[in-house]
Amino acid sequence: MSEPSRDAHPIPRGSKACRRLFGPVDSEQLSRDCDALMASCVQEACERWNFDFVTETPLKGDFAWERVWGLGLPKLYLSSGSRGSRDDLGGGKRPSSSPALLQGTAQEDHVDLSLSCALVPRSPERPEESPGGPSTSQGRKRRQTSMTDFYHSKRRLVFSKRRP
Amino acid sequence: MELLCCEMDRVRRAVPDANLLYDDRVLQNLLTIEERYLPQCSYFKCVQKDIQPYMRRMVATWMLEVCEEQKCEEEVFPLAMNYLDRFLAGVPTPKTHLQLLGAVCMFLASKLKETIPLTAEKLCIYTDNSIKPQELLEWELVVLGKLKWNLAAVTPHDFIEHILRKLPQPSEKVPLIRKHAQTFIALCATDFKFAMYPPSMIATGSVGAAICGLQQDEDVSSLTGDALVELLAKITNTDVDCLKACQEQIEVVLLNSLQQFRQDQGDGSKSEDELDQASTPTDVRDIDL
Repeated sequence: MSEPSRDAHPIPRGSKACRRLFGPVDSEQLSRDCDALMASCVQEACERWNFDFVTETPLKGDFAWERVWGLGLPKLYLSSGSRGSRDDLGGGKRPSSSPALLQGTAQEDHVDLSLSCALVPRSPERPEESPGGPSTSQGRKRRQTSMTDFYHSKRRLVFSKRRP
Repeated sequence: MELLCCEMDRVRRAVPDANLLYDDRVLQNLLTIEERYLPQCSYFKCVQKDIQPYMRRMVATWMLEVCEEQKCEEEVFPLAMNYLDRFLAGVPTPKTHLQLLGAVCMFLASKLKETIPLTAEKLCIYTDNSIKPQELLEWELVVLGKLKWNLAAVTPHDFIEHILRKLPQPSEKVPLIRKHAQTFIALCATDFKFAMYPPSMIATGSVGAAICGLQQDEDVSSLTGDALVELLAKITNTDVDCLKACQEQIEVVLLNSLQQFRQDQGDGSKSEDELDQASTPTDVRDIDL
């Protein structure tokens, strides 16, 4: 496993596929656009989950957030043991400079996973069970946190965590 | 000798799962969810200002070359194109970012579908080092965020086995039909015309086009013409006329790409041997229409 993974298919010398398609790439613009788009992702998440992931404060909305202590999460998500191998697969280290990245110091990242949320029906005529009625907003479609939702939350929490 | 072969086969694959392939509920579920993963709009008209259709073709062609050279699994390329289209349908992007995005999408699709995924470093080399691995990784998160982490998109490949097993083909012809159909699917992914078609229609049209094309040389099918199209349409609940139109478009795209290839011929450096080993679809140049 310690071998470089794709050596079975090294890039042939002088491969025609190695080429730039649209001229020079402006690294600074790339990084500016990256930050702007990440910020918009955070904003979207904030609206969707009515939770300010930067200050870690619940906002008014469909989800009722409450802090949960001692969440019974599988160890995989809590310990740092699983991390090393994950990064190796991508071939290369995650850059740690951008605050928008979720990779950080492992143990700390997961401490604040202990926030759970539930969807609260706003009014009796729009019960939470109604699966995707025409007027249902996106955030209301699901009544239960699914794995991906949870991951979404985690990501943002980590994001905020890394700010000093 | 056998032991040696085993050791050399570095790619681990699951065996075909009869529970998944021979259960109609799976096909029905695929048909139900496939539309969720289509790009939300025809983005050249309503989102992009800088990016033109020919640029999508350029980046798609490049991505296909990389996937072929790296012997990626067949699904990687169409899946990466699905990510690219969905991202571009939502985010106005300058053309200078397009190749980076293509690389990011291959990176993600490869991680989802392959046991030994493409590395960031390798993808950067394929961009002639115009981007750095760090940029690739940063943009990976951007793309993931914009795709809402919905990566397990339905692709035309998901339908191929379901379609093939319902056709009355002699079983020895199936591998060839499958291979040609896979080539057509890759071809469709390079052409924006097909980006908003349901994957099931592309799959059905590709199988139809493969059988029709092969039929000219050898007897691969007891069913032909309208009877075949009708059976295919029934399998994936596709409208017969839509399916015919789709199949014709696939054949046009194939002809165009063959012409393009003949123009480019002379600088083709791939050996036949190399093509045979590819797990990516047969190169279009292998097909006689």
